[in-house]
Amino acid sequence: MRIDKTHRGWVIAATVLAAVSTILYILYAVQSPSGPRGGSAIGLTFGITGYALMLYAGLIGARKKVPTWRIGRAQTWMRGHIWLGTLSLLLILYHGGFAFRGALTAVLMILFFIVILSGWVGALIQHFVPTLMTERVPMETIYEEIPHVRAQLREEADKLVSSVCGPMDTEAIADEPAAAVTTLVEIEQEDRARFRDIYLRRVRPYLADPEAPRAELADATRAREVFESLRRLLVTPVHAVLDDLENICEEERQMNRQIGIYRWLHGWLLVHVPLSIALLVLGGVHAIMALRY
Amino acid sequence: MSDVHLTIDGAAVSVPAGTTIFDAARMHGIPIPTLCHQQNETPVGVCRVCVVEAGGRVLSAACVRQAEDKMVVTTNSEKVTRARRTLIELLMADHPSPCARQRQSNDCELETLARLEGITQPRFPRRLSPRGQDNSSLVIAVDHEACILCDRCIRGCDEIRHNDVLGRRGKGFWAGIAFDYNLPMGNSSCVSCGECMVSCPTGALTNKSVVKTVLPGEPVDVEELQQLSYFQKVSGTFLELNKNAVVRRHYRKGEIVCREGEYGSTAFYILEGQAQVFLATPLAHVQTQGGATGFFSKLTSRLAGRQQERREEEGARRSIPIDAPVDLPYDNPVATLGPGDLFGEMTCMSLYPRSATVRAATDCVMFEMLRNVLDIIQRNKTLKAQLDANYRKRALDDHLRSVPMFASLTPEFIDVLRNKVELVRHTKGDVICRQGDIADSFYLVRLGFVKVSEPHPGGELVLAYLGRGGYFGEIGLLGEGRRTATCTALDHVELVRIHAEEFHQMVEQFPDVRQNLERLAYERTEQNRQRLATATSMPLDDFLTQGLMEAQSLLVMDLERCTRCDACVRACADAHEGVTRLVREGQRFDKYLVATSCRHCRDPLCMVGCPVGSIRRRNSLEVIIENWCIGCGLCAKNCPYGNINLHPFNVLEDDPANPGRQIAVVKQKATSCDLCTEHAEPTCVYACPHDACHRVDPNEFFRWLGTPLETETRRSLT
Ligand code: HEM
Ligand code: SF4
Ligand code: SF4
Ligand code: FES
Repeated sequence: MRIDKTHRGWVIAATVLAAVSTILYILYAVQSPSGPRGGSAIGLTFGITGYALMLYAGLIGARKKVPTWRIGRAQTWMRGHIWLGTLSLLLILYHGGFAFRGALTAVLMILFFIVILSGWVGALIQHFVPTLMTERVPMETIYEEIPHVRAQLREEADKLVSSVCGPMDTEAIADEPAAAVTTLVEIEQEDRARFRDIYLRRVRPYLADPEAPRAELADATRAREVFESLRRLLVTPVHAVLDDLENICEEERQMNRQIGIYRWLHGWLLVHVPLSIALLVLGGVHAIMALRY
Repeated sequence: MSDVHLTIDGAAVSVPAGTTIFDAARMHGIPIPTLCHQQNETPVGVCRVCVVEAGGRVLSAACVRQAEDKMVVTTNSEKVTRARRTLIELLMADHPSPCARQRQSNDCELETLARLEGITQPRFPRRLSPRGQDNSSLVIAVDHEACILCDRCIRGCDEIRHNDVLGRRGKGFWAGIAFDYNLPMGNSSCVSCGECMVSCPTGALTNKSVVKTVLPGEPVDVEELQQLSYFQKVSGTFLELNKNAVVRRHYRKGEIVCREGEYGSTAFYILEGQAQVFLATPLAHVQTQGGATGFFSKLTSRLAGRQQERREEEGARRSIPIDAPVDLPYDNPVATLGPGDLFGEMTCMSLYPRSATVRAATDCVMFEMLRNVLDIIQRNKTLKAQLDANYRKRALDDHLRSVPMFASLTPEFIDVLRNKVELVRHTKGDVICRQGDIADSFYLVRLGFVKVSEPHPGGELVLAYLGRGGYFGEIGLLGEGRRTATCTALDHVELVRIHAEEFHQMVEQFPDVRQNLERLAYERTEQNRQRLATATSMPLDDFLTQGLMEAQSLLVMDLERCTRCDACVRACADAHEGVTRLVREGQRFDKYLVATSCRHCRDPLCMVGCPVGSIRRRNSLEVIIENWCIGCGLCAKNCPYGNINLHPFNVLEDDPANPGRQIAVVKQKATSCDLCTEHAEPTCVYACPHDACHRVDPNEFFRWLGTPLETETRRSLT
């Protein structure tokens, strides 16, 4: 979610609420002789409101599971999530009077900080990274489709090369002479063998495992150099095929980039979501224990 | 009658008075070449190829000149052969050799004569102005270039068949043969008897080569065909040429004649027995179980019963249009056809998928035919009258009432209409009415598709496509008396034409029909006005104007906001029982992705061809797919943007191998975005947590992209 002026209302509301609770808190902290306590009436009010806001923030998960519910637009929930979620931290801090006694409360507060922090990290990521994705991955496809697209590209590359070199047995290459084959491009037997060899040694492995670390063709500059040198090495009739192969490699690189950026976009949720659930559960435990005893 | 005595090439010959020199010579075994003369037609003597010396100052045409007493005829003198050669050479100079007949069967009479004369390179120049071809008939190809103006076809049509369709047109260089008042052959009153084609000596009129399909079934002889009233007047030679395009089929009771959704190219005519027409695909909208776990995961589909998910407007639905003389009642989509009924015309003429399944209800005998034979019989006046009578008697009521607007017409009034309406046919490309013409009738579409458009500088603007059950012409009749748009047949079209008089009678007697029509006319006019405004206010280049301008609503994703979370796709799937109607992929435009989801085009190409009219527009203009879709996939193929998907599901059907048992078969139905009209906002938009997904009116959308608005204004618009 982009944090822009559509958030203005929420920011104002959250600020007003924060100001009101701060005034309340100050009044209450000054008045109570033994310092602010969670168990006092006001402290409990802070705690309950804070926890309610946390619960509301957590409910976005449930809301997203059932998108057809007409219980408010998802974007409204999202704005609320960010601002009320943040506000909940303040309320909980006021609830505990900035002091956390006991192991459970300490764990809770650590979790809470991580959740809020990760939330803001995520919010910032979501603010900036989509633009990055749009600019850097013009050929973006659907994330789940990437393996499928990759398989297709591989097939296409093989077809391209065999249109020049004749059918290609990717397992056993060099031995069989491609004499009898009819190809689309007329080139010398020797050039054909060379081209195939280069393809199988340098391009094909990249297409087979484009995510391999430090693959030569994964680097755009390096790839350009490789294809330049191949152009010098190989006869002109195959240059068109080389161009196509180069494009395929570019698409592969873009998919790598897409995967990378996609992980940024969604990876932080792996921290935020499980911890927020833990937080809500433990928060509940804390509430029950505190009220019982 | 007394005989005359003459000498031909030295031989003494006597023949009855009144015999032509040509016949006299023929009777005595002396050959004289001819071209415009044909034994069974009155001689006219126009080509002069049959010249002979008969004693006069000039040569005579043997085919018309009568033998006279003491006449001395020479058929092969130097003078005669020279003249004949020059004549042939002159004709050949203008002949597209080898012409179609020569290519087809190597028997162009002119080219044969030329070969005998040894003429190869004519000495004379060709004419420069082309005379053209006419390909409008389904069975006969017309090449005016090859016509030698011998008039054999004209005599064949008028003298032999008494059809009086053919005549002459033009003068001098422009002279040629003409059908009716020089109409394209396919649009003329030609009955496709084939006599002209059989008469023509050259490639000017040739048989269109029959599709090389071999129809399974029992071949039918020409004699037998000619026993049937609607082939009686057809030339035997012509039938012989076309006879492999019709077969007799025997079906045992219960056997399937054709299945809905299948592609085919034939029509059926029932000779004996009864056949049942029905939809084997259950009437339902696609629903899916198995939860929405992402778009590419496997989903199991099931169908929602009709009562479970009945759309508001379906309540008013009375029938489903199919490719047969009857419509299927909506509540029990089964009908019976009997002897004399013809079905499958749309499939046969325009190669659309079959619209329904037909099963033999009793043992049946049918003719199955390809389009050339269908054309012959459709043009037959007797059969046409019979088919039309069947339609008037049985289908007109349903057809009229299936249009919600006419639901209130009383049976008495329909009886009045029954004999007053005209049933008209149009071939592909025909202009049915033109903008500005006087509005003289109202039309209801029976078969095929009609394009309604307005001509504009720089191209036409398509206002609508109308399929079966569609109607047009009310705006002109209710308004200023002139046609406001041009209507063109997109394929083989059959219409019910209600003349102005009956139309006015109808709107007077039924005020609610009038009200509805007026409201609709107003809506249509209003829409057209808006479209025009759009069309003229678009400064953008072709790429945009083409694809996006035609859209009434686009699903766009702001790529600077979209986190690629796919909440929209999942929401769509959830809202439509697991079947998403949107794919988060497509063209990028500026910072927007135009997602693959129905655009509700102004000229929805997807609708053209749906054999059962199940993909259609609501009055609110969004395109929806009704529950009687038979899953033929034509709409998906026709959508240029790939926005229609077919979703498979299993249904139980009677097992033909084991009677009494049922087996699961896979059927499919088309789905596309319905804009979630039951809600204020489409589910995808509602479910996007990041304010990235929007349904926009491209009109607005383009306007602010096209003009240098403040960035801030842009932002607030999104
Ligand atoms: C009490 C505090 C919070 C709780 C319990 C909580 C819980 C959650 C949960 C359960 C989700 C998962 C939604 C899903 O299923 O995708 C989520 C998502 C998210 N949260 Fe929080 N959260 C809290 C605070 C915050 C704060 C303070 C922010 C910050 C700015 C934040 C930002 C986000 C964002 C951006 C998402 C991603 C939503 C999406 O991409 O669809 N959260 N949160
Ligand atoms: S809606 Fe599409 S798939 Fe269904 S019957 Fe019509 S054209 Fe065929
Ligand atoms: S729901 Fe919104 S953010 Fe998520 S993929 Fe769809 S448009 Fe993008
Ligand atoms: S055949 Fe006698 S004039 Fe043509």
